[in-house]
Order: sequence, then C-alpha cells, then structure tokens
Amino acid sequence: MGHGHAHHHEHDAATGTDVPPALDLSIPDGELPPADLNRRGFLRNAGLLGAGAATTVLAAGTPAVAGGHDHGHGHGPGGDHGRTGGFRWLAGDHHIHTQYSSDAMYRVIDQARHARAYGLDWMVVTDHGSATHAKIGVEKVNPDIVAARSRLKDLLIYQGLEWNIPAAEHATVFVHPGRNEVAVLKEFENSFDGSVRNAGDNTPANEALAIAGIKFLGEAVRKRRVEGALFLANHPARRGIDSPHEIRAWRDADPSVAIGMEGAPGHQAAGLPRASGGRARGYYDNNPSANSFPGYPLESYRTWGGYDWMTSTVGGLWDSLLAEGRAWWISANSDSHVNYLDTSQRGPGSDFNLNGRYNDPVYGPLITDAGDYWPGQYSRTHVGASSLSYRAVMDGLRAGRVWVDHGGLIKGLDVRARVAGDRRANSGTPLGGVLRVRRGTSVEVTIDVDLADIPNWSQFVPVLARVDVIAGRVTGPVADQDTFTAPDTRVVKSFEVTRKTGRVSFSYSFGRVDQPFYLRIRGTDGKRSQPGLMGPAVDPSGPALDVAGAADPWEDLWFYANPIWVLPQ
Amino acid sequence: MVLREPDLGAAAVIVGLSLGHRTLREADHWLDEQVAMLGPDLVACTHLVAGPYPHVALSMAGAAAERLAELAVTPPELRAAAARAAGEHAARRSGRAVRYPGAERMVGTLTVGDLLAAGAIDRVVALGGTPVSPDTPVHTRDFVRPQWQAGELVLVTMPHHAGGLAPFEVPDPTPCCADH
Repeated sequence: MGHGHAHHHEHDAATGTDVPPALDLSIPDGELPPADLNRRGFLRNAGLLGAGAATTVLAAGTPAVAGGHDHGHGHGPGGDHGRTGGFRWLAGDHHIHTQYSSDAMYRVIDQARHARAYGLDWMVVTDHGSATHAKIGVEKVNPDIVAARSRLKDLLIYQGLEWNIPAAEHATVFVHPGRNEVAVLKEFENSFDGSVRNAGDNTPANEALAIAGIKFLGEAVRKRRVEGALFLANHPARRGIDSPHEIRAWRDADPSVAIGMEGAPGHQAAGLPRASGGRARGYYDNNPSANSFPGYPLESYRTWGGYDWMTSTVGGLWDSLLAEGRAWWISANSDSHVNYLDTSQRGPGSDFNLNGRYNDPVYGPLITDAGDYWPGQYSRTHVGASSLSYRAVMDGLRAGRVWVDHGGLIKGLDVRARVAGDRRANSGTPLGGVLRVRRGTSVEVTIDVDLADIPNWSQFVPVLARVDVIAGRVTGPVADQDTFTAPDTRVVKSFEVTRKTGRVSFSYSFGRVDQPFYLRIRGTDGKRSQPGLMGPAVDPSGPALDVAGAADPWEDLWFYANPIWVLPQ
Repeated sequence: MVLREPDLGAAAVIVGLSLGHRTLREADHWLDEQVAMLGPDLVACTHLVAGPYPHVALSMAGAAAERLAELAVTPPELRAAAARAAGEHAARRSGRAVRYPGAERMVGTLTVGDLLAAGAIDRVVALGGTPVSPDTPVHTRDFVRPQWQAGELVLVTMPHHAGGLAPFEVPDPTPCCADH
C-alpha cells in the first residue's frame, strides 16, 4: 500500500486545522485509516499534495537542506518529486478557439492538425464561456475532441473553456480527460462564468464568485470527478481589470488549480504593418474603463516586445508575486480564432445562436486582416514532463517547469540553481523549483541553451543575441494585496551570445547566500529594446513598447523562463 | 451637483452628473448629443467611478454648465459619484476631457506645437520614453481626449507607425470578445 519511493514532505503545505485527514499532513501515512490513505495516495499522485497546495514556497514545512556535495534538490511547488534532468520538454498552447466560439471558425481537427504540424505536443480547446456555449457547445465539442485524440495519437488534446472570470478578464480552465470532463466543465460554466451569470462588473460579490469557481475546480479533483483541473489567467493586463489582489486571491483560493497567467498574449500577428494601418500587437489597444484597477499605469495596457506588461516589466507585477515567494507561472499561446494569411471562411448558412457552432469552414479568400497565428506557429509553452501524458503535462505546468518563446527563438533551455561547482547531469534545481541550502553556501545558476538549428515558421533560423539573469530578494507576503512592484528585483547579469550554432552554456554565481531570493532567465534576438519601466539601473535593455501597425513579431523575439527560488536556512 | 469656484473665472461653475453610463463610448455619445450647443468655453469630462457600481460619471465646467443640470437629473444613488466627478474636475486632479475649447480643431495631423496653441491642452507626453518636441507630428485620428493631471490638461500619446505620435486612446478599441 505504501508508495514506491521516499516522499520527503518538505514542500507540504502548512495546512489549516479544518482539513480532512487525507489532506492533513501532520498525520503520518501510517496513522491514517485505509480509506483516507487511499485518498491521500490519489491526491499525492495527482500532484495535489505538497507545495502544489501551498500558496508560497515559504509555507513549506521541514526542509531538506542541500549543502556541500551531499544534497538533494528542491522539488517544484507543483509537488512532483525528485526529478531534475531527463524531462521531455513538450511544447503546447492552452488557448485555442474553434467553431464553438462566436468569434472563431475552425474545426477542432483543423486546429489540432495545424498544432501538430507546427510541432506542438499538447493543446487545450478553450471556446468562450457563454449562455450558448454552456447550453450547447460545451457538450457538442467533446465528440470532436475525442475523435481528434484518436486520429492524432501523438498530440494531447485537452478540453477546456475560456472562462469569463467574474469581475475580471478571461482565463483558460481545463481538465484531465475522463468520464466527467464535460459534466465538470458544464457545471462550472453554468455556475461561475461571468457572462452566463452576468457577473462581469468589478464588485466584491463577483470577485467572490470567481474564488468560488476556482474552489469548485479543486473540489472536483478531490472528489475524483476529474483527475486534474488547471486555471491560467489570459491576457491579464489587456484591459486593466485583473487587479493585483484578485490575482493573489485566485492563487490562494486553490494553488493546485490556479497556477499562472499568460506572460505573452496571443494575436501576435495583429500588430503587423498593413494597408489599413494595422492594429496593436495582441490587440492590446484598450484604455482604462470603470472596471479597471485605478492603480495601473497606461503602460500596462500595451504589450512590450510582445509580452504582457505584468511579465515584461522587471520589478513589476509578476516579480512582486515571486518576491513574496508566491509561485505563479507564465505561458505563451496563440489565442487562435481566425488566422493571418489563411484561406478559409466560416461555413455558409451558419446560425451560431441556434446551433452553438458555426458550420464547418469552407475555402475562402486570403485573410490579410486577421491577427492570429496557428497554434505553434509563433508562440510556444514548453513544459518539462516526465512523459507524454495528460497527467505529466498537467504536473509539469503545476510545477512551473515551464519556459516560453516566440518565433522559435531557441531550441532548448536547461536552467538549474546549484550549489557552486556542482555540474552533475542529474542534480540542481530546475525551473519552478526551490533550492534549500545551508546559510553561507555558495550558489550559482547554470544556463544551457540549445540554439535554434532549423528554420522557424517564417523560414529563417533565429539568432539569440543575449541572455539576462534577473534576480530579486524574497521579502515574504505583502501587507497590501494590491502591490505590483518588487523594488529589489533587477537584471543582475547579461550574457552576449556569440556562437551561432550548438549549445551555449553560462553560469552566474550568487556567492555565499544568506538571504532568500529568486532568479529567472530571459533572452532576446536583440533587435528591439529600451530601458525598462523601472529605469536603466533595473533593466538597461528591456523589451520595447510595441507600436500598432509597426510591430513585426518576427523581428522582435524573446524567451522567458519561470523562476527558481533559493532559500538559505 | 453644482460647485461654484470663484477662482476659476469663466469656469466658475462645475456641474457633476451621473447617469450610470457603463462605458466611455456611451458617456461620450451622451455628451456629444447634449453639450455641443453649450458654448465654446465648456470643458466636459468623463470620470471612472467604482461605486455604487462601476460606471462613468460626467462633469462640466464653463459659463453655461449650469444649464446642463437642467438636461438630466442624477438619480439619488449616483449623487455621490456625481459629486466626486465635480470635485475631481474642480481640483483638476482627474477627468478625461471630451469637449474643451479648440476640440473641433483636433483633427488630421497636427504638430505638438499646433495642438498646444489651440489653447486647452497644457502638455503632451508620450509613453515608453518617446521624445516629444514642438514639431513632432501627432496623428489625431480626429479623436483627442486629454486628461486632468495635477492641475494640467495632459494629452498622453504613444508612437505612431507612420512616425511621430498618436493619442494613447484609440477611437475604436477592440471590444472584449470580438475575434479574440
């Protein structure tokens, strides 16, 4: 009945007092009744015990401390255990629309075949939540997804939806495939979608409904209705309506479900030059509304090097979460609805409101005014997974073992926090992880980049020009939940890349560490940059403001990696 | 809500109104229909208000502003929002100007110098550290909405694809669920 491998519960949540015995990790396995032990095993295997259930990496219990050469490496807050190297890095996209969205048009198989052709291993179908979708689409799309799964054996296709978060923006919500995938999504949509429930306004009651929705998903997993459910906030800064306190509250509501946000929005073709003058990259062309968080500056409503301001600003909102020790991951997706330079159109004679879908698309004129790329064509979210399986990809996402890129900027990335000098292939703490060391231990980060060696989907081989190490002190929970700056975070080192082929390796030493901190990695083709919004001392060559109608996304490529924490103790 | 501000000279009267408009577009439309005839010195602004529900309140300053109070009545539950709008405008702290002296000249492409010379706008700034000089062209898109900031009416701009600048606020922002 035991578990095949040792579990050090160093990342277990500091659980509350009213938790069921299976979740109360102060009760050892051996003291649990068999039914509870079985349940705990299920939850553990689903990645739902351990720091996946913790709001911050600081909340973990008794640590295993690494020091000298006799050390373990930290596990990701997602709660999968013990692996450092040897992951399969699986590229995916969690934000894709089909003919079951009122503003889109493709079949599931159209999106899936393109995703696979463009090199993706996993994808999520996320049609818009709405009264029509809740009534019809959420069910009707499922047989299409099931059929696509059986046709494309080497592509994982999750069913999800694009949730209108009450009082806030959109979010990807998706579940592990299974008997109840439709039932759970449908109940969720009917109960918690901001459009279905007319709960879009930024009010306390609607914010509470969003929290309840995230908790519902966590419960659906704990009740074993589905094996996993995840939430990622989409285009979070687009309209200024995802306030900092809402983002923190989503994570707190259930950290095994609410895991992150889009670091870069989709619609990356929208800013291309066009005869019509062009639109904003990502369609980020809004200005504050009555529902917007009044504290956000106007800069937050635009993209920077194709990325959302929350992510692109060194010392900004994302860093303010990481500096708390709050695990919150970023992704990059297509948000494909209607794709630039495709030659198809919505099926004639469609009645979306009646049928919950558009008729199958047919051949049509060249689409020159659309703003989207096919899944995998430009934006990719790379997940370090133990295998090509639905479960493993969800575990990797939950663990934050994720980096993202645009335009195939690089082929591979291996970042590890290490005790200085350790170069063993299977040691070190990977992306999303926590390295615990004795105070005074020398710590460094190693960065191995496999440079692009084949052309991207604009038929050129991207050239990486620079890799930046960004780091900041972990200062613990903030008193003001609307905090969105991290004053101590800055670019601490930049490496110029001179090689054009093969693997480039860098390391940066943090010296003997006595304060908790985190680090994250960013890289660029170096074609566009400007000093960051917090000033040149913080980010001398950050991403540049994207200009509507002049934002050629292929001439401005960046990758971003999720953080690693280092906690001396 | 009518404030009397003797210090403001011609803009001695500031009226706050709140009719529960949900979007800037609705509020702009109402102002376009109602205030066009109310005199060249009128400054009419929108204000984003959170309570009692998120909506757009209005304020008007100018000799004829008081006549606006006769055009529509703020419902009781929105009176605090109207008062707040009037107060923000009076203090020149916040408020997005839809009507202002010289607004009719804010069309086509103007230099920053031309734009300032029209009178109402005190300053032009640009996002992202873009330099602004008097001869920088501003592509107005016939839609110029400066904002009160610390006592000045400021136009926030950003770079335009054809060179020069354009107002930060676009006339046709992408709606929440249109092709995305």
